[in-house]
Amino acid sequence: MKIYKRLYSYYMIWPALLIYCIFFVLPTIIGLFYSFTDWRLDRTEIHWNGWTNFKTIFSDSTLLLALKNTLIFAVVTVIGKNVIGIALAVALNMKLKSRNWLRAIFYSPSILSIMVISIVFTPMLRSDGSINKILEWFGLGSLSQAWLTDPAIVILTISFVSIWQTAGFQMAIYLAGLQSISKEYYEAATIDGAGSWKSFLNITLPLLLPAININVMLTLIGGLKVFSEVFVLTGGGPGNASQVVGTIILRSFGEGSWGLGTAVNTLLFVAVTIISIPLLMFMRRKEVSE
Amino acid sequence: MKQTTKRVSAVLAASALAVSLTACGNSGDDSSNASSGSGGKVTIELAISKASQDSAFVDQDLLDQFEKETNIKVNLQLLPSEQITTVLQTKLAVGETPDIVQYNLASAVTDLNLERNFEILDDEPWVGRVVNKNVLSAHGHVYGFHVSQDTGMQGVVYNKDIFNELGLSVPKNYEEFIAASQKIKDAGITPIFMPFKDAWATNIWTSAALADYASKNDPTLFEDLNTNKKKWNEIPELETLIDQQYQLYKQGLTNADVLSDSYDMAVGKFLNKEVAMMFMGDWLIQDVETKDPNVHLGLFPVPYTDNVLMGASPLGGQLFIPKQAKHLAEAKKFLEFLGSKDVAQQIVTEQKYVSNFSDVTTPELPEYKQEIVDNYITPQKTVTTMEGYLQVDMSEMYRSFQDVYAGGKSAKEALDAWNTKFQQLMKDKGVEGF
Repeated sequence: MKIYKRLYSYYMIWPALLIYCIFFVLPTIIGLFYSFTDWRLDRTEIHWNGWTNFKTIFSDSTLLLALKNTLIFAVVTVIGKNVIGIALAVALNMKLKSRNWLRAIFYSPSILSIMVISIVFTPMLRSDGSINKILEWFGLGSLSQAWLTDPAIVILTISFVSIWQTAGFQMAIYLAGLQSISKEYYEAATIDGAGSWKSFLNITLPLLLPAININVMLTLIGGLKVFSEVFVLTGGGPGNASQVVGTIILRSFGEGSWGLGTAVNTLLFVAVTIISIPLLMFMRRKEVSE
Repeated sequence: MKQTTKRVSAVLAASALAVSLTACGNSGDDSSNASSGSGGKVTIELAISKASQDSAFVDQDLLDQFEKETNIKVNLQLLPSEQITTVLQTKLAVGETPDIVQYNLASAVTDLNLERNFEILDDEPWVGRVVNKNVLSAHGHVYGFHVSQDTGMQGVVYNKDIFNELGLSVPKNYEEFIAASQKIKDAGITPIFMPFKDAWATNIWTSAALADYASKNDPTLFEDLNTNKKKWNEIPELETLIDQQYQLYKQGLTNADVLSDSYDMAVGKFLNKEVAMMFMGDWLIQDVETKDPNVHLGLFPVPYTDNVLMGASPLGGQLFIPKQAKHLAEAKKFLEFLGSKDVAQQIVTEQKYVSNFSDVTTPELPEYKQEIVDNYITPQKTVTTMEGYLQVDMSEMYRSFQDVYAGGKSAKEALDAWNTKFQQLMKDKGVEGF
């Protein structure tokens, strides 16, 4: 340990810290400042305008809808990605001959570009698309939907595409967690007469908590910051039915309302911080060690 | 525990690497160093979107000829099409401007603050020979340069072959239009293609029709809207127009899934004769006929009532000179070169443009274009579409129109929503009266 300390002094941190400050901390602070101004495409001077931008945000029905959609997306994807991720990981941690293949297959969507996924999914999700046709074959025609054009369900559809894409990524993290759990616990549990469900609940889940924490945080922050999935699948449409905070920021900048755009961005930053830090602290406390 | 964390972070790092490797495919590099080299040679920078890189103005032979004559080199900055607005806005904001920009006039007014950022070209030598100054002007001054005056016409693109086979004539009003559509439907062809996944496509009908209505019945309509004397939800005729278009969909005269179909499918639909009509500009005809010259398409005005004028979109693809250009004189020289009789004639002939210079002759045009010139442009039966009169980004209006088809809103509610947004945009822009 001592040798390491001598080899690498703490000064080594400076370059990284400097880059981090210049490219993250500084823009964030500047952004905070601009979100209280009337910075616009067609203004030569920038004026302080207090809370005006934030008042605009909370009085604009589209922006409120975007906030609601972002929350729905975040909650649905956090649950979906983690439940399916754990299920896949547990299944593919068993001794199957094909498990390496299956792991690769389930992981592969997460390295695809979202553009490719959109090109594949958009025709499938049309009202005359293959998903509805498959439903009809199984006699479930009543379940067929206008997946991407019905304002009531479009954000859920996008959430499911996102779950499909990245559940495999969550699976990889859970697999790493599972493999570090000693087999002895399961053997002892079996001797004590515990079934597989009981050992899952009482051994696997608690010892998997570090991985769950990381995954929940990653998916939650990713969910709140969602942009590309919505942008490529619907562009926020039909109308504004699937707008999320990310697409609203783009729209505000497109309209030349740079101050308003930065304000929405600041709001997103604050919301992500307020939601994730207490959650992280809460979940950390629940962790157990072997 | 420690082991878990280690493994977890290792996998995490590896996956993050994999994701980042696949994710960063685009690198936006624009080294904008307009430096004058030795021997008095000046390099001017011309910014243009990648989608327009085949523009006649940046043909390499022309640029070489210009360099030979004047010792001024033109360097192209190709900007990604979907980012050109943002990139140019930023460049203009920080004063790092190119010397010439290719953009379109109406969007330059709404996106780039034309008045503040660009040179007025009224006194340039070529302006005196321009036939139709309107297509290059905003706020009463010439800002743009182009050799063509054909701005792209908007109306109903229709397949003449299908019309001939079914013995149909061009519909002159809404009732005739419905009747013709019904006949086409009975023949097993989709009468109207609505690619309304693209929000802007919802507006071709309304934009041309409202402009026609205003020019005949309410000449101050757009002025009143721009000064807040009239509000968008106080124009019953506009509601009727929105509803007219919606009824076509309701009555089953369109493709079934209008909100899933996008504009990029249109060429294929026309080539396969799957559809007979579409509300669009004549640029679509050119795209279809280059792919298959045996398909004959034409254009007629939006038949919302009798005797409608053809909608003329604001001209696109003009060249502009930013006020902060480092080589202002050289940039103007380039426009002078392009506007000189011989060079302009060469471009007009090659591109089959409708000439906008008095001493440059229009070449023989494709059949559909000649018809438009003879029937609408020459007799001046055109009217600039709605976008030409407005100063703010209109996309939110198109989105409101989409809401009508998504089943949520009535025409009135769509206009209420747009009116609120319009008020906000105009107020933010600092327009008097809002």
